[in-house]
Amino acid sequence: MTADPDEDLVRRVGRGEPAAVQALVARKLPRMLSLARRMLGDEAEAEDVAQEAMLRAWRQAPKWKPGQAKFDTWLHRVGLNLCYDRLRRRREIATAAPPEQADEGPGPDRGLLAADTAVRVEAALAALPERQREALVLCHYQELSNIEAAALMSVSVEALESLLSRGRRALRAALADLAPGAGGR
Amino acid sequence: MRIEDETMSRMTRERFEALADAWGGDLRRWPEAERGPAERLRAADPALAGVLESADALDALLHAAPRPVVSAALRDRVLAAAPKPRRGGFARWAVGRNLGWSLGAGWAATACAGVAAGVLLTHYITADARADAVLYQAGLSPVDDTEVLG
Repeated sequence: MTADPDEDLVRRVGRGEPAAVQALVARKLPRMLSLARRMLGDEAEAEDVAQEAMLRAWRQAPKWKPGQAKFDTWLHRVGLNLCYDRLRRRREIATAAPPEQADEGPGPDRGLLAADTAVRVEAALAALPERQREALVLCHYQELSNIEAAALMSVSVEALESLLSRGRRALRAALADLAPGAGGR
Repeated sequence: MRIEDETMSRMTRERFEALADAWGGDLRRWPEAERGPAERLRAADPALAGVLESADALDALLHAAPRPVVSAALRDRVLAAAPKPRRGGFARWAVGRNLGWSLGAGWAATACAGVAAGVLLTHYITADARADAVLYQAGLSPVDDTEVLG
């Protein structure tokens, strides 16, 4: 395992040093919010998850043992588990009371109405199957290595690559009208 | 055969396209072990630039997704729950210099001195009374000193 760039900071947070606490918040809170926002597609839920992940980081810092895992990877594990819990609850609610009208994402006509590329991309990402979205979020947005992302998802590196390929192909198809050049081979 | 040589031997156009398909057009995002061989293959086959351009276009769309911004309220809530310094400045300074032990020893010494002073004071206060008793007893012939003093 390579050296953990957060090791010293976490040790100082464990001692309650105010400057270290501020630095860890600046470094990790946006990452946790980004992870949760893209996994859940809901701002309020993402804030709850990011806050809870950071609270767990505060509890973990005083007893953090360097050398076992990178702190960032551990924090992603915490954040992902919190997201899984919420996604599972959503599925249970959806099964108990299926919505009358399912949102099928932007169709050809709706695509013409959607002027904001960002909104279209976010919607396309949210419409991906959960595991494909997870692979893309971890590798593309969170910039984790293939080994770290595969370990977090409990899959092989080859399986991760397959999820990424399928996810990107689905996005290409959904966003083809926005970037014809992204049409692939 | 070195690992990279082995990877290079497996780096074909098909593998290059599969990597671009999964990881996008920026080779810095590709698996570390395959970056070098992929770079060399790209240099040798200019047609592969098109593969990367296509992947780049999708990357650019992905980057267009809104970047979540941490609100001041969320930041404040997280900071409010953060660990606090375990001790105050003086206590940390005192512990750093073993002042705690020194203070403890000082209190213990004071307590011992207090007990000793109490014993001595009791001795002096009762000494006069005992002397009076001995003198009184001396005037009484049938009474033994031991009966008075115990």
